[in-house]
Amino acid sequence: METFVIQFIHGLVYGLLLFLVASGLTLVFGMMSVLNIAHVSFYMLGAYLSYTMFRVVGNFWLALIICPVLVAFLGILMERLILRRVHAAGHVQEFVITFGILFALNEMIKWIWGSENLSVPVPSTLSGSLLIMGNIYPAYRLFILFFSLLILAFLAFILMRTRLGITVRAMVSDRDMASALGTNTPFVFMLVMGIGSWLAGLAGVIAAPFLGLSSGMGLDFLTDCFIVTVTGGLGSLWGAVVASFLIGQLSSFGILFIPRFAIVFGFLLMAVVLVIKPSGLFGEKA
Amino acid sequence: VKNRSFYLWVGIALGALGILFPHVLPRFQLRMVTEIVIVALLVMTWKMMLNEAGLFSFGHAVYFGLGAYASVLGWLHINGLSLVSGILLGGLVAGVVGFILSAFLVRMSGTYYALLTLAFNQLIWAIVWKWRDVTGGDDGLGKFLKPDLLGIPMGNPVNYYYLSLAIVAICLFLCWYFTKTPLGNVMKSIKSNEERTRFIGFNVGASKIIFLAMLAFFAGVSGALYAQFQEFIGASSIDLVMSTHIIFMAFIGGVGHFWGPLLGSGIYVYLSEYLSHYTDRWELIFGVVVVILVLLAPQGILGIAKKRK
Repeated sequence: METFVIQFIHGLVYGLLLFLVASGLTLVFGMMSVLNIAHVSFYMLGAYLSYTMFRVVGNFWLALIICPVLVAFLGILMERLILRRVHAAGHVQEFVITFGILFALNEMIKWIWGSENLSVPVPSTLSGSLLIMGNIYPAYRLFILFFSLLILAFLAFILMRTRLGITVRAMVSDRDMASALGTNTPFVFMLVMGIGSWLAGLAGVIAAPFLGLSSGMGLDFLTDCFIVTVTGGLGSLWGAVVASFLIGQLSSFGILFIPRFAIVFGFLLMAVVLVIKPSGLFGEKA
Repeated sequence: VKNRSFYLWVGIALGALGILFPHVLPRFQLRMVTEIVIVALLVMTWKMMLNEAGLFSFGHAVYFGLGAYASVLGWLHINGLSLVSGILLGGLVAGVVGFILSAFLVRMSGTYYALLTLAFNQLIWAIVWKWRDVTGGDDGLGKFLKPDLLGIPMGNPVNYYYLSLAIVAICLFLCWYFTKTPLGNVMKSIKSNEERTRFIGFNVGASKIIFLAMLAFFAGVSGALYAQFQEFIGASSIDLVMSTHIIFMAFIGGVGHFWGPLLGSGIYVYLSEYLSHYTDRWELIFGVVVVILVLLAPQGILGIAKKRK
């Protein structure tokens, strides 16, 4: 029972981290119907920037504030300078170009920070551990849990209760109509791209002390992140919530029971969901 | 009609060049040309999925890798398996797997199709990677036989080059011929409007499955040829990075043009060979090249030439 609870919390932490990255991805997809594969590079960049920030300033909280903003800026730049220009060429070209960006960014990160594994220490205020049902559990993971929930609540509030949220939702369901009704679509799009990249960078910063830094961290995360967005249904935020929860638990308990083939479960879930419901759990259009 | 004779002349010129190459090029250049020829077939199968059926495959390495593994396992474990039978075995296994996967894949289109192929790619890669007893896992498989063909020693790179050239030429011809068949026309019709094609009375799902399985077969043949060429096969031939490289090659050459895959794989092989001499960062340069190319020439290099004409 105790292992069960611990694994459950563990899965929850990982799932929420996935959600932070996947939510940005799915929002951008909902608007542009193009999957920005380079999104995971932003996650990676957030983590590596926080490493440098920590080396220079020595303060985790400062990194948590500044690094995601830098990443968001890069995301906006990428949308302005590259994605907007290939839009006319078609979806396939847009898709391929984000691939090129992913490759270039990943290699650039390897170039700047080297390819050996790095680590960021857990901030001293959170370095302790708590007792959960007689088991020692690192406090930092619980911080990830609550912090991600906070961000999720914040995101839900913006989307459901503010004018900006209504505009964004309108654009996700019909971009052209929203534009015809007088929404400044390029601006809203830029904003969403910024928020999406910010979330990816944020996830990178808080994941850094937890998962460590390696040159493969982006690609490792990419697959899980895609499974989440696709299983939940592209463009659906609630789908992303449910799917991240499922994938988090699946990978957590998969490692517990069948460690050798743990990586396969996520894909199996995705394949099964897509075969039964091609548009994903909460997706509308296939 | 003028256009068709143009294609024909390009084909004849390339064929003549291909036959001449071993007599003019030094040994290591010949290796690269062999690789280009083999990879061109693979890229061609990817391009045809996109061009003839409008399907963007994100996991094309599955067919390539399975073809390679199946043929290598054949040469390792089946006594007296000849070279051509081994290559056909690779193609057949890839084709059968393509047939099974396509049964699931044909229900999807667009991004969902691409992502389901990605999922299958990762699934099969994970199985290959973890199933060490059979596939060798990270270490891969090497030291398999290279049987002679009709008494001609295939250990000689020139002979193997000619064999690859012949097989790839036959496969490319069949690919081209397919676009002229009734089924090829049905695929074009599906690409332009799937619903109408269904209403006319064509079995859209079955047509797609046959088409995809056929291309998977050719991709498997390419994989088997590649395994014999490298005399080694590892899990990196079936992973996602391989799949993305296939997509890059297709886009560099130009997806709208018949000879695009050949040009794309040629540029790719030469670029990776020479850049890796000068710098370890060739993947970075490659990524940047792809970004700039798609920005400036969304239809690939041959796309520019086509527009000018």
